[in-house]
Amino acid sequence: MVNGSKILPMSGIRVLDLTWHLAGPYGTRLLADYGADVIKIERPSEGDPSREMEPLFKDEQGPEKSLLYQYLNTNKRSITLNLKSREGKRIFLELSSHVDVVVENFSPDVMGRLGLDYGVLSSGNPGLVMTSISNFGSTGPYKNWQASELTTYAMGGAMINTGHPEKPPLYIGGHIPSFHVGTVSAAATAISILGAEKSGQGDHIDLGAFQIWMGAIDRRQSYLMSHQYTGDISTRPWPASALGTGIWQCIDGYFMTAVGVGLFPRMANMIGASDLLNDKNWSTAAARSDPERLDESIALIVPWMLERTKAEARDAAQEHGVYGGPINSFEDLLNDPHFQHREFFQEVDHPKMGPITYPSAPFKLHLDNSKGNEKIAAPLLGEHTEEVLKDFLGTSASEIKKLREGGVI
Amino acid sequence: MTANNPTNPDDSLPLKGMRILDITVVWAGPYSTMQLADWGAEVIRIESTKYFAATTRGQMARPPQGVVDGGTSTGMGYAWREAGERPWNRHAIFNAHARNKLSMTVDLTKPEGQEVFERLVEKSDGLIENNLPQSMDKQGIGWERLSKINPKLVMLRMPAFGLGGPYRNYRTWGNHMESISGHPLIRTYPDLSPEYAPAGVPADAAGGIGAALGMLMGRRYVRRTGKGLMIEAPTAENFVPLLGDFVMDYSMNGRLWTQMGNEHWYLAPHNVYRTQGEDAWVTIACWNEDQWKSLCEIMRMKDLANDPRFKDNESRYKNRKELDAIISEWSQDRQASWIMDKLQLEKVPSGIVMNERDATEDRHLHEREFFSSIEHPEVGTHKHVRTPFKSGNHENVGARRAAPTLGEDNEYVYKTVLGYTDQEYADFEEKGHIGTEFDPSIP
Repeated sequence: MVNGSKILPMSGIRVLDLTWHLAGPYGTRLLADYGADVIKIERPSEGDPSREMEPLFKDEQGPEKSLLYQYLNTNKRSITLNLKSREGKRIFLELSSHVDVVVENFSPDVMGRLGLDYGVLSSGNPGLVMTSISNFGSTGPYKNWQASELTTYAMGGAMINTGHPEKPPLYIGGHIPSFHVGTVSAAATAISILGAEKSGQGDHIDLGAFQIWMGAIDRRQSYLMSHQYTGDISTRPWPASALGTGIWQCIDGYFMTAVGVGLFPRMANMIGASDLLNDKNWSTAAARSDPERLDESIALIVPWMLERTKAEARDAAQEHGVYGGPINSFEDLLNDPHFQHREFFQEVDHPKMGPITYPSAPFKLHLDNSKGNEKIAAPLLGEHTEEVLKDFLGTSASEIKKLREGGVI
Repeated sequence: MTANNPTNPDDSLPLKGMRILDITVVWAGPYSTMQLADWGAEVIRIESTKYFAATTRGQMARPPQGVVDGGTSTGMGYAWREAGERPWNRHAIFNAHARNKLSMTVDLTKPEGQEVFERLVEKSDGLIENNLPQSMDKQGIGWERLSKINPKLVMLRMPAFGLGGPYRNYRTWGNHMESISGHPLIRTYPDLSPEYAPAGVPADAAGGIGAALGMLMGRRYVRRTGKGLMIEAPTAENFVPLLGDFVMDYSMNGRLWTQMGNEHWYLAPHNVYRTQGEDAWVTIACWNEDQWKSLCEIMRMKDLANDPRFKDNESRYKNRKELDAIISEWSQDRQASWIMDKLQLEKVPSGIVMNERDATEDRHLHEREFFSSIEHPEVGTHKHVRTPFKSGNHENVGARRAAPTLGEDNEYVYKTVLGYTDQEYADFEEKGHIGTEFDPSIP
């Protein structure tokens, strides 16, 4: 809708978005950024709690000041609706008969308690796709457990491998868990949309953050397999415990490499130690897997790195095919020549805050008139209530006035 | 488009009928095609007996025992710790993410290999690859050519940093995309130098899911317009959006976060605490006063709730080091799972840091039938993650057939999909395209 007349991959898909906080809104934003008409349903007067979450624009308080909310809700329309009122429920049910998708991330029993579970919603709309996002999924002994992002990430397992062996395992940082789960929810929804358009039969996706991490490719799926193959429990690796692998002090910061026994000849070339490869202690992978080679290699890498800047190390690594990268700050990232060249950070005008800089799209469409993800700022609370009720249900101006007075919208 | 797909007997799966060519390596790319195969797409891995991509079917085609032993603590184990005669069929990474996929072999460096490839493109709906752009260029694999062969194709390319820009041919693993993106610096320990920053690969997870989403969207675009689509999904650009709030706090407020470890921006307690047992840990995170008071009661330290150092969240955050020391002192003599159960009973957010054994024994995963057992022809029966998210309608979503051995589906792909005759198949075999073993010259 907000993307106008261009045909984008999700054009024509209408989504009723009941999600709030982080994971759900991130997922529906991806659908909106690529063309779906996403109607965000918020509580009258308060709206989504993330409207007040940090980071705040210039650290100022107020309902239209959260940068986080801005980030999670571009290209959506916002309506307010009180789902706890009988009238609000009726309006939601009517709206749901006009849409392709409903997404929600309440606690597992909430939709049922509201009388709005998948059975009810799909009875008049069999092609409806509903995606339910929660911490642990809608069944099982943990379904009503409390969790922060730290909780489900820890239980999801990859944390046990992250960090120093003598220190506590490390969290993944920031809101990465929620945003990743949000991306998975968008993919799950897209799978079901494709299926529903083909067969006429919708689906109800049950997605829990704990299970998403436990099934992720980042050091879980293969680790669970490896454990069955060997009986070993994986551990946090010691720094620089594999050949050519570690984080090294440079003139202006740190540089990370990951090489291993097989590819070590490339690193030997990079640090000017190609002669080593003629030595029988170094010439074969089997010889290089002797633990004594590790200390010898560190003694060669450290002085080489100490003489170079992060950028020099990066260029040399690229030239020699050594896998590596500088340890950057977000300042470095925003000034990075590659990301700048690709215009990855984009500015979007907001009616109250002015231009805001965002990271751009996860993927670019190679279309003549669009890359997808052209952003329109997040909606003000209830900005589209009248428009949506008129468009979808033909609600008259006087009825809207009455609903507003009754606190329904 | 697909018929008799040996990996998907269920006609009702949502992606049944979608054929995807898979030229992916390592983790991010294979994770994207795994999602599609789980939900019914026919995913054909295009492999070659003449080329071994490191960390896809193992570190090396023929690893010495040192490499085999070295992988066991890093999730790269070989079945029974043995490389065996065909190590590439026994590696944990590949055998985890390649379930439900088909494997065919062809040598794309030869002209008749390119003909086979063109026929595959003609008969497929999508192609996903995550290689260095220059290696794809060498094989002539690009949108201009492929879109002429199949105008309704969706081609999704996911090189680390994109098809254009100074890092076009940058060689990286996921952790280097993360280091360039600023990630290790925020997640590492507040009290150790950045040399101790951890190396994870969440960029591979982000890239894999993002690319799957891209391909699904591309297929919907084709359905709606009748036209094919090229999508560029660099893994790094799939990852940086997960750091969006940090980027915006810097771009709009000039604030740089660094070395946060397990700490929250403003909540306390929020950390991971040592418990009884070897390398056993539990997380505790409170976001309101009720949870904090319950925690104090469970620790039998009611006075703590009235202690001026911890009287409200602001005070607790300011004095979080002291608070964490008190909680650790209490947690270290108790079992992690006891703390988790006890706190959850009182609605305090807590979870153990699960290792592989905890996961396979977990009662929630067990009850949700999170794992399914599948038999692999060379390494036996093992548990696979069935699928991380569930369908209300489809029983057969997720792991159904074990990862293919190299070239396992050559006959099906060459004869059934591409329509080559028995004689032609024999010719391809003779010319070295079809095989089940890597060339003996590959270490």
